[in-house]
Amino acid sequence: MERYGAGFLEERKLEKRWSGPVPALVSIAVLFAVFYATWWIFQDPRGYMRMYTPYVGYMYCRWWLIMMIWMVYIFNYWPFKRSWLENANPLYKGAVLTLASVAILLVLIKGFFEGFLGNFGLAYFNPEQLEKLPGITSFFAIEYASLAILMFAAIASWLSPAWVVAFEEAPWQKLKQPAKGFSILMITFFLSTLVYFVTMHPHMGILYDPWQYFTSIAPPYWEQFADTVSGNFHVGWIMCCTVVVWLVETIWERYPFNLIKNDWGRRFACFFGIILIALAMHFFFYFAQELTFGEAIRGTRRGFAPDWRWLHVGEMAIFLLVPALFLNFYFGNWPRKFSMPVNVMVRTLITIVAAVLLYIVYYRTSHLFLGTQKGISHPQQFPMIPMIWLVNLMLVQHWFMDNWPGWKLVAKTEEEIAADHASHQAQIEEIKPTPQFGIGLGAGAVMGVAFFFITVWALPLFYASIDLIK
Amino acid sequence: MSDNMKRRDFLKGATTGVGLGMLGAMGIYSYSPLRKQHFPEVARKMTDIGVCKSVNVTNISETSWFENATLMGDIKGAGGLLVNQYDYNWPPFGNGKGLGKGSYDDGMAKIKHLLPDKIDEAWQVCVENCVHPENAGGYAALIDVEEMSGKHRKFLLDSGWGYAWTDECFKREGIDKMLANREIEALFFSHEHFDHFWGLPVTLKYDPTITIYIPEGFYPEGLQYIKDSGHKGKVVTVPKGLNPHIPGMATYVFGIPIICRVYGEQSMYFNVKDKGLVSVTGCCHQGIIRFAETAYNEIKYENDNFYGIYGGLHISPFDDWDPKYDDLVISLKNYGFEQIGCNHCTGVLCAKKFVAAGYNVIEGTAQHRSKDKVYLGNGDKISFG
Repeated sequence: MERYGAGFLEERKLEKRWSGPVPALVSIAVLFAVFYATWWIFQDPRGYMRMYTPYVGYMYCRWWLIMMIWMVYIFNYWPFKRSWLENANPLYKGAVLTLASVAILLVLIKGFFEGFLGNFGLAYFNPEQLEKLPGITSFFAIEYASLAILMFAAIASWLSPAWVVAFEEAPWQKLKQPAKGFSILMITFFLSTLVYFVTMHPHMGILYDPWQYFTSIAPPYWEQFADTVSGNFHVGWIMCCTVVVWLVETIWERYPFNLIKNDWGRRFACFFGIILIALAMHFFFYFAQELTFGEAIRGTRRGFAPDWRWLHVGEMAIFLLVPALFLNFYFGNWPRKFSMPVNVMVRTLITIVAAVLLYIVYYRTSHLFLGTQKGISHPQQFPMIPMIWLVNLMLVQHWFMDNWPGWKLVAKTEEEIAADHASHQAQIEEIKPTPQFGIGLGAGAVMGVAFFFITVWALPLFYASIDLIK
Repeated sequence: MSDNMKRRDFLKGATTGVGLGMLGAMGIYSYSPLRKQHFPEVARKMTDIGVCKSVNVTNISETSWFENATLMGDIKGAGGLLVNQYDYNWPPFGNGKGLGKGSYDDGMAKIKHLLPDKIDEAWQVCVENCVHPENAGGYAALIDVEEMSGKHRKFLLDSGWGYAWTDECFKREGIDKMLANREIEALFFSHEHFDHFWGLPVTLKYDPTITIYIPEGFYPEGLQYIKDSGHKGKVVTVPKGLNPHIPGMATYVFGIPIICRVYGEQSMYFNVKDKGLVSVTGCCHQGIIRFAETAYNEIKYENDNFYGIYGGLHISPFDDWDPKYDDLVISLKNYGFEQIGCNHCTGVLCAKKFVAAGYNVIEGTAQHRSKDKVYLGNGDKISFG
């Protein structure tokens, strides 16, 4: 039976081409070079295609991420065969898979969203339909349509991997490809559509004058709670969901959900646990902005506006994703020598510190090389675009090119695969609900609450000590 | 179980617990009403900027461009809202190479020798080399402040864009003569945007020595343009924050990034005796509510009352819309502005929503190419006080 890429990521062995940190440094150097070259070609406002209009570039960026998730996580590289994945030259393989992802991307955006949905269902997905409205310029017709399509992408980038990470592909995990892939695609796309209609559609419904009372709930139901009618309230928590899915999958190794023995219990706990963690981040990041930038003021624009604050919640979350993936892709998910909870804690701390540094460095310097402007709350600038662009290229390098050039793919033997599984299982098994574990859990929870309040106390002082925008 | 095992189990539990405790507190506390106890009480500074008797504003031009579709077509073709404004190949910085392929140096090389005296000739060069010169309007306003003594002091806020249009407007409102007679004592630039700043040579044609106030954050091209336009007077770079100017008048510079690669905006506050605060803006990219909140926190003004606004409020300059603008329409009532003299980048759509929401938007006459009576148009005047 042809397995295509099922289990390929877990069962491949990436062998360093050189000793020490050289492979990571070389691969990261190549990554950044490609990032900057492609940024210039596709996104940079000074560059060739200038897709950072902003929403056009943003839309393609977000959906390209999902295309790769679909190809790798949902379809397990189908229809590319396992033998080809293991033996093809990484450059050739990277080019073919990347082109395939871009081809699907174009079909989806031009064919499905703009062509099908935009012409036969919801006009706001198609710029040409929008241009028929009086007063709508071609530019904003394209921007509005791109905004709608990328809002859908935000949801899909959470739910598509969540079904694999949290639900472990159930109940279709034993199906062959492409049946499994299409099944998961259908359910995640269906759920994405439902979430879209209750989160983003009301935003689109009041994007026009008069408000579209007949087609969407206006004003949106979240207005009083979120202090804004903008759908950015949802963008924030949905982006946090996307980030948490990948934290759970990479640096957390699905801990602590993997302690739950019952399959469906574990799956539901993980799926809804991701949402709860994301909501906690969502509210905390908003609070963090209140503590540092000051209280939000409804109706104003930019940095003090609640709608921008909620959007910035998602932007803050994305700064966590980048170091987490770096740690996982280029540093072998270091450390691995401790117990799983301690490993997870150390990685999380590294990720948080790196994210804070990345945030500061981004806002201090990005305008010097991305063709953007200095400042935090430029209404047309979104740090999610360069961050996700970087993440996309990391995925190309890691998923499609086996971390070339620093690493090379070596097939694991059956024994090595079995040993990996046994080792991972043993790490889970060694966590037992002993009295000491329970005491530690309680003491840790108290410490966690204390750390929270220490963070709340320290944040304004920390922010006052740095000059984010020189 | 050995002590080591117990310790290890405790550590596993503790690290897990820290995460759970932290996340739990984050989720339960962060958006609860209890969080507000962490917000410091911000004392109002109540800076005394003095008082004036009245402020009268003449709208020289609010039509920055005449066809929105043309401007947005240019923006779309050049690569969107983040492209450097000097690269669009808009007048006066045209090099004949087409949309999105311009540069300050190329454009200036063609007209520098004609500035500021021969702006008609310079404009002809622009027409030949630039993209859509017929669409270049501009924003400019005459501010007449009546001091408590009855003495009137005049200031120019911005200097338009297209040389031909700006000159026509200056002549229509008598600004040319006021400048030539040195009746206008300073030119304040709200920000570096093309439609507010690039008509500078028209002002300098009539008064090359006028003192210019620019907000902190001008890019090198903008600073060079002031020199290349033939300015012979003093240039004052106004730092971020509150800057009192004359009794009853202050400017405030907001350090904010703006579309088309511009940074920083300077707006004006006037404290009108027995009436309250009047806010005058070019584009108000900082947002009218932040502008008002800043005044509340920084300035002492009569009756603690927001009396009036004049200028572009930068809500839907391109007739675009976004739900966050509805937040503004809904919230503006909390500030109680008695008179709203808006125009320009406020957007006709927004002005209509203001009217529908019951705000006192002062109607205009829709003359001299202004398109709608819903707000103050070209040549219209408004008095505060």
